[in-house]
Amino acid sequence: MIRPVLKIKGLSKRHGRGCPSCYNLTGPQHDRNICPQCQSVVACHNITFELFPKEVLGIVGESGSGKSTVIKLLNFDLEPDEGELYVNHSNSEVENRIGLPLEGQNLFTLNSFRKRLLRNFMIGVVYQHPHLGLRLNVSSGGNIAERLLMADWRHVGDMRERSAELLAKTEVPVSRMDEPPRNFSGGMQQRVQIAKALSNEPMLLLLDEVTSGLDVSVQARVLDLIRSLQHELHVTTIVVSHDLGVIKMLTSRTIVMKNGHIVESGLTDQVLEDPQHPYSQLLVSSALT
Amino acid sequence: MKLGKWLQQQDIDTSCHYTFAFIDEGAKREIRRKTLKAIAIPGYQVPFGSRDMPIARGWGTGGIQLTLSLIGPDEILKVIDQGSDDSVNAVNIKAFISQVTGVRLTTKVQEATLIQTRHRIPEEPLRKGQILVLQVPIPEPLRIVEPSERETRRMHAEADYSRMWLHLYENIVAYKEIMIGSRYPVFVNDRYIMDPSPIPRWDNPQLHMSEGLYLFGAGREKRIYAIPPYTDVKSIEFRDYVFRVEDFGEATCCRCGSKNTFLNEMIDDRSGKRIYSCSDTAYCSNLLDQKREGYKP
Repeated sequence: MIRPVLKIKGLSKRHGRGCPSCYNLTGPQHDRNICPQCQSVVACHNITFELFPKEVLGIVGESGSGKSTVIKLLNFDLEPDEGELYVNHSNSEVENRIGLPLEGQNLFTLNSFRKRLLRNFMIGVVYQHPHLGLRLNVSSGGNIAERLLMADWRHVGDMRERSAELLAKTEVPVSRMDEPPRNFSGGMQQRVQIAKALSNEPMLLLLDEVTSGLDVSVQARVLDLIRSLQHELHVTTIVVSHDLGVIKMLTSRTIVMKNGHIVESGLTDQVLEDPQHPYSQLLVSSALT
Repeated sequence: MKLGKWLQQQDIDTSCHYTFAFIDEGAKREIRRKTLKAIAIPGYQVPFGSRDMPIARGWGTGGIQLTLSLIGPDEILKVIDQGSDDSVNAVNIKAFISQVTGVRLTTKVQEATLIQTRHRIPEEPLRKGQILVLQVPIPEPLRIVEPSERETRRMHAEADYSRMWLHLYENIVAYKEIMIGSRYPVFVNDRYIMDPSPIPRWDNPQLHMSEGLYLFGAGREKRIYAIPPYTDVKSIEFRDYVFRVEDFGEATCCRCGSKNTFLNEMIDDRSGKRIYSCSDTAYCSNLLDQKREGYKP
């Protein structure tokens, strides 16, 4: 049996004061995620899933369903209110630095210094808006070098070599390596962001609506690129999107989210061909073909 | 009007109206406590309650408060400004401190027990027991990459210095070299990145494994930090772009002929030519005296 590489258990995040009935009065059955008693926003509740090695998992749902919150929690950008995160992966370099074995450790309980180390060494993230993941005024090579510097690279020549290699792989002209991404088109900025996310050979890659801001032809090229990188690098990936086309093209397994809850999960083909939950049915039937 | 003259006119007995060394004993105690903390955590910026001084904030009040809290009646004080004992800032601070303490003043590094300085470290290395107080305008080395104080404190706490490194990387990409003239950041005790105050790169190596104690005071920014004796201090560098000090080529000092000091560049009024002289005037004069006396080392 294959062991999961990542286990997420009972993940919850609430914005606002919170009251004892928040979780009971929100969710898909109530069709809301704002608690009527205390007005707190329940961004996600009781999210539990597993991720297997080299797997590509899709998270689909409407705006405000909590998809991005899950990504932010996994990237340690936000602190969860409840929940556990376990990783079945040993990386001796990271373990030496944080001074703890990773296995069996709830990663959410680590201190912020250790979380940052984990993020630097093991997680790559690509956001919808390039300005969230890139420093638009720093050269493209520098953006990639930043990730490498976080992982303690201290040789300029080596870093430039690695940056050039990654930019070539993501189809950004290497001759424009020393130009800031500010000068680039949206699609090109997104490709620099992907190069940056891949620079430290992450164990987990998080793609948050990567193609949502791009026009269709550029979208197709970026998706093509992601797919070919998946074939080449076999990184375990979570793809978040509201676009079923993207989910269909990239993922093998899918989770459907609504009002901060998981309403359905299964193989992508199964979910798209034979949706069980009313919301999934609505989602599939409203997709443009 | 000068403070002393005014006091005379008012017919006030200064000995009972001012505590020794101007600032009150409670304030001194607080500054000493913060100084001890700074020494205990080399390179860490300790916040302190910066008091009002008879000069404006940003004009060396941090250094003056450190000096006044440390000084005792037997201390021998040297004050320099950009290497010079005779520039305006140095002369005025010296006059003020001697007025409120009556301590002996000197220009010789070897004689001094306490040295206050701005923007330079004397060429002569400190010896055991000496304290060098530096005036600091901007204590936060990460300010150039991050405007938020909250964020820079987090970066220090987590030793998250990638953005400082990125700044240097971008320098190399743009100019093929690290273009930081003064305030070249250093790693103290392999932990904190520290701003050494606007000293030239030339002075950075002096901070490493020094026998004396370095104290840094920023009055406007309300921070004290320190490098205790025998502390490891590294100027930050890449493996293929290493730190180097200023290179003056073949230039020598036009007064003492010295080749191995930090030089100021000037234009000679008469000939219109470029000339150089030692920035550390006491070192220069001392060397000149020795030469005149026919001293052979």
